[in-house]
Amino acid sequence: MLGRRGALRFLALPPYAWLGLFFVLPLILIIAISFRPETGPINFDDPWAPSLVQYQRVWETASYLRLLGISVLMALVVAGTATLLAYPIAYFLAFRARDRAVFYLVLLLIPFAASYLLKIMAWRLMLGQEGAINSFLQFIGLTAEPLDLLLYSRAAVIIALVYVWIPFAALPVYAAMQRIDRGHQEAAADLGAGPWSRFWRITVPLSLPGALAAFFMVFIPTVGEYVTPSLVGGTEGFMYGNLIQDFFTSAANWAQGSALSVIMLVVTLVLVVVALRVVNVRRLTT
Amino acid sequence: MLARTHRLRTALATFATTALVLASCQGAEPQELLVLEWAGYEAEDFWTDFQTANPEVPVDFEFGSTDADILSLMQAGSQADVFHFYTGWQQFYVDEGLVREIDTSKLTNWDAVPADMQALGQIDGKQYFIPWDWGFSSILYNTEQLPDGVSSWDVLFNEEYAEHIAMWDDGPAAVTVSAYINGWDETAITDEQLAQIEEDWIAQKPLNLHYWDSEYENLCPEVISGDIWVAYAWPGCYATALYEGVPVAYANPEEGRNSWVGLYGINADTDSYELALEFLDLKLAELTCGNAVSLFYYGCANGDVMAAVADPVLIEAFGLNDPSILEATNFTPPVTAEQRDAWTAMWTRVKAE
Repeated sequence: MLGRRGALRFLALPPYAWLGLFFVLPLILIIAISFRPETGPINFDDPWAPSLVQYQRVWETASYLRLLGISVLMALVVAGTATLLAYPIAYFLAFRARDRAVFYLVLLLIPFAASYLLKIMAWRLMLGQEGAINSFLQFIGLTAEPLDLLLYSRAAVIIALVYVWIPFAALPVYAAMQRIDRGHQEAAADLGAGPWSRFWRITVPLSLPGALAAFFMVFIPTVGEYVTPSLVGGTEGFMYGNLIQDFFTSAANWAQGSALSVIMLVVTLVLVVVALRVVNVRRLTT
Repeated sequence: MLARTHRLRTALATFATTALVLASCQGAEPQELLVLEWAGYEAEDFWTDFQTANPEVPVDFEFGSTDADILSLMQAGSQADVFHFYTGWQQFYVDEGLVREIDTSKLTNWDAVPADMQALGQIDGKQYFIPWDWGFSSILYNTEQLPDGVSSWDVLFNEEYAEHIAMWDDGPAAVTVSAYINGWDETAITDEQLAQIEEDWIAQKPLNLHYWDSEYENLCPEVISGDIWVAYAWPGCYATALYEGVPVAYANPEEGRNSWVGLYGINADTDSYELALEFLDLKLAELTCGNAVSLFYYGCANGDVMAAVADPVLIEAFGLNDPSILEATNFTPPVTAEQRDAWTAMWTRVKAE
């Protein structure tokens, strides 16, 4: 007999194996390939010695590092905006929807069923020179000509990404709000606290872990985003993820692409760790 | 003793028979095909003759997005029996031992391919590749926005058309255009010239509405809508726009058009050589080749098919009514691995700026 601990370990084996095979192993391969010296397609039968030349090339190309900085900034804007916009949605679901909470939750989850590409392509129609937004602005007389900056720009990338991430960001915030003991609210009300006071001093601090989870859940993948910039970003909206994609596909330079990926991974992890230390969640929630 | 010997002989006979049967089974080719293709080319119209002749043979596809991607997939050990790429990359496949020589005596449609096209698939006198699709690269422009026409590739750098230009997202193409404009030998670009090319394209970047990487997805719709007035383009988009009644023209720049040819090769490690050969032969057949021309507006290597084109739009798009067009056309030359890597890295730096 396995015993309780043994049974738990046995049950955990398949997911660990899955993670090991499809996450850890590819990560190790990427890191290993980043130390190859080739500038083009790799012949894996060729002998090789580990080299830092790929990292050196990235360090020497100012535009790559600058693009990483721009991508991090864009990811911060997208994560912050998506979390802010998702917060009232989560609040409504947790405190106002009551019996219809499940219904509204299903409405929130419906966009998950739609193809990601379809959603982004829809934004191309919305943001285009003859799209819905420009047509409306001209119809109400706010603009005389179509606005160029709505499509094929950094703004277009941010708008489309915020739209895609709002439903994702709402879920952890909603989960955190659901865990808030309603008794705190009642006690505060009994002691004379008004609605805004209860919101700022009880709801916000206790939902902060969920908001932070939402923020990082959006921030981390957005740093490496490449599909949306390629569809709506034009020449201006190019992001660091597009650079990695280019090296893997157009240049077939897997080694350089891998080095860029490792750098992005390290930078993102450092930023997340620093942010978690700066924002002491425990201090805010106690 | 005799019974034991009899059992031993029976066992040995059974073993030998089984081995013979298994060996003969392994000698037979698998009846399935895997093709490494570009997205869109998996359409059944592009292999209809093979499907009709071999309805029971499943044909699967895996995809590459660029010539470099397809080469790297083949180098990484792709199991594709047949692969498709474009001129300039032939030598790499031969040097890496990735491709098998083609027995053209088994190709029933080979004689319909013009000799100069056949030659594109030859390395050191051996036929390694079959030409299939072809076309020009030139400037597609809106004649209402550019009533004076286009005489040079440098129109892509004209600030007068800022945010209405679309360049193909391809480093070697950018180098080729710059070589044409500056009168440089595109097979011998120096480091100083490449640095100048990089600066020029960084300065050109804001003039683009966007770079395009899929002709029918993010170039043609905006040529038709009028958002793009000037584009590096292939005849497919030209024909599409003409069919839509859009006032466009396809330039004959003073530097000459560029021309490209798609080639198919057979994987050196394939177990389905005969089937792959039949697949390539039937790619050149009248109906399949005709579909490439009439449905997707690409030229096809079967000369009889091209000679039979009667649609005036397609005649215009392919320049079939201009016997001098090929004389003024620059065919994509082979590039070295160093050039390929340097030019694509240059383009990545342009996009990162």
